[in-house]
Order: sequence, then C-alpha cells, then structure tokens
Amino acid sequence: MNQKINMKKIERKAYTTYHQDGVIDIAVAVVVILFGIIMLGDMPWLGGIGGVAGILAVSLYAGFKKVVTVPRLGYVKFPQQRAQRMTTIAVALGTLSALMGLVAFLQTTSQGTPDWLMLLIDNYMLTIGTAMAGLFLLGGYAFKTNRIYAYALLTFVMFTIGYFLSFPLYYYLFALGTIILAIGIVLMIRFVQKYPKATETADA
Amino acid sequence: MSPSKTSDDELNAIQNIDKIIHEPARLLLMAHLFVVESADYLFLQRQTGLTWGNISSHLRKLENAGYVAVEKEFIDKKPHTTLKLTEEGRRAFQKYRKNMKQVFEDLPE
Repeated sequence: MNQKINMKKIERKAYTTYHQDGVIDIAVAVVVILFGIIMLGDMPWLGGIGGVAGILAVSLYAGFKKVVTVPRLGYVKFPQQRAQRMTTIAVALGTLSALMGLVAFLQTTSQGTPDWLMLLIDNYMLTIGTAMAGLFLLGGYAFKTNRIYAYALLTFVMFTIGYFLSFPLYYYLFALGTIILAIGIVLMIRFVQKYPKATETADA
Repeated sequence: MSPSKTSDDELNAIQNIDKIIHEPARLLLMAHLFVVESADYLFLQRQTGLTWGNISSHLRKLENAGYVAVEKEFIDKKPHTTLKLTEEGRRAFQKYRKNMKQVFEDLPE
C-alpha cells in the first residue's frame, strides 16, 4: 500500500511542479480580462472574439511554457489517457452547448423566446458564473491542480454575490481576472527564483 | 502451508528481485519515468535531486538492460535527448513492485 501511495505522490509531484509556474493562471486571467474589456466596450463581434481569446490563451500557454518552464524544469510529456478523457468531455460539452444553442434558435424563431432560455438570460450572472466555474473544475481535473478548483469556487461565489448586487458583469470579470493574474505572476516569480535556468545539459 | 514451503516462497521472491532496478538511484529514475510518457535529463534531475553524472551513469545501465530508450531529436535546431521506459522496462518495474510487495507481505513479524 505504501508503494502505491508513493507512486501516486511521485506522479502528483511531477504534475504539480510542472504547473506551479503560474502559466495557466496568466493565460486564463488574460482571457477573462479580455472578455471584461469586450463587455465594457459592448462589442457586437463578441462571438468572433471568443475564438480569438481561445487561440490567445493557447498561444500564451505554449509560449510561456517554452520560454519559462522548459529551460528551467526540463521537458516532460505526460500520459495521454487523461488528455484524451478531457478531449472527450470538451467535445461532449461543446456538442451539448451547440445543441442547446440550436434548440434555442429554433424555438425563438418559431414560438418566441422559450421559458428556459428566458430563465438563463434573466439570471445571466448565475448562468455565466456556473458555466465558468464548470470550466475551472474541468481545468483543475485536467491539470491535477488544486488552485484551479479554488478558482472555480471563487468564480461561483463572486458571480452568486453579483446576482444580488447591481454592478455590471465586467466588474466581476475584471476582479476575477486580476486576482488570477496576480496569483499567476507571484507563482511565476517564485518558480523562476526556485528553478534558475539550467547551465548544464545532457546535450552540450 | 508448511514452514519450509513458506521459506522457499520468501527466498524465491527475494531472489527474483531485479538487481538493476533495486539500486536506489535507479529505482528513483525508473519510478519517475514510469509515471510520465517521456522526459529529459533536466526534468529527471529536478525531480530526483540526483547529479548529472549520477543520472547519466545509471541511465546507461538501465539503457543497457533494455529498460530505458534514449531518443535524440532536434528542437529549434538544438539537440535534445528524451528518455522513456520501454515496454520491457515497464513490465520489469511492475514485476519489481510485485516482488517487493510479496517479500514484505510474506516476511514473518
């Protein structure tokens, strides 16, 4: 049993060290703040920007990993099972959202806005908060990182409070993005201090 | 089960322990490579705390035993060495865990 626990610890340590660099946090925070700016500007091309934000997050993540993490911590590739499971969940959620969107569109054009959609729109703070918290939960599971679960809780609490207050949505997006960005920057500074760039390499 | 049969089983389990894996530094390297798909020297060094020389010499032994595969590739025009456990290495590590568990489970108090 002890051996099993130790192997789990080794696996967990490998994951957490690799994701203790604050890169995920910074990438996510930038996207959240970007959405806040979009809301503030009341920009109609929101849908298109959603895709751009996704590309930006992935580019930021890959870029920071290449420049900050790999030269300090080394290269590692984790087993694919979890990534494949995550892809399946993401595809299922994407399909479900698309179906809901299609049903909403069809019902709206034929019978006017349906009640369930009105309920989601009327309580948009709770809808958005729950959706974002769900995404953070998935992220926490994918990266085996507890602080992302904490972000899920923070998001849900903030948007639930926001439901009872009358501040605009972008306030909460800016606040959430700023908190996550600050945590990301602190983590990155600590990571860089703890792991200086390697001077010796096996390939020299 | 007779006492002599139990002693034989214990002895077999101990004798079956893979001596290549049993060395602490190599066990550490094998354990770290077991939980990932592949990694490089730097990652192993950061995770295990072993020195470059130590890692290099132990990995050579593991490579000679057929437990670790060393792959050289170019990333951004720079040479890069990645290491991964072979199927044989994974099987050997699983067998080692099983044997060790058996040894300690079967040992009398």
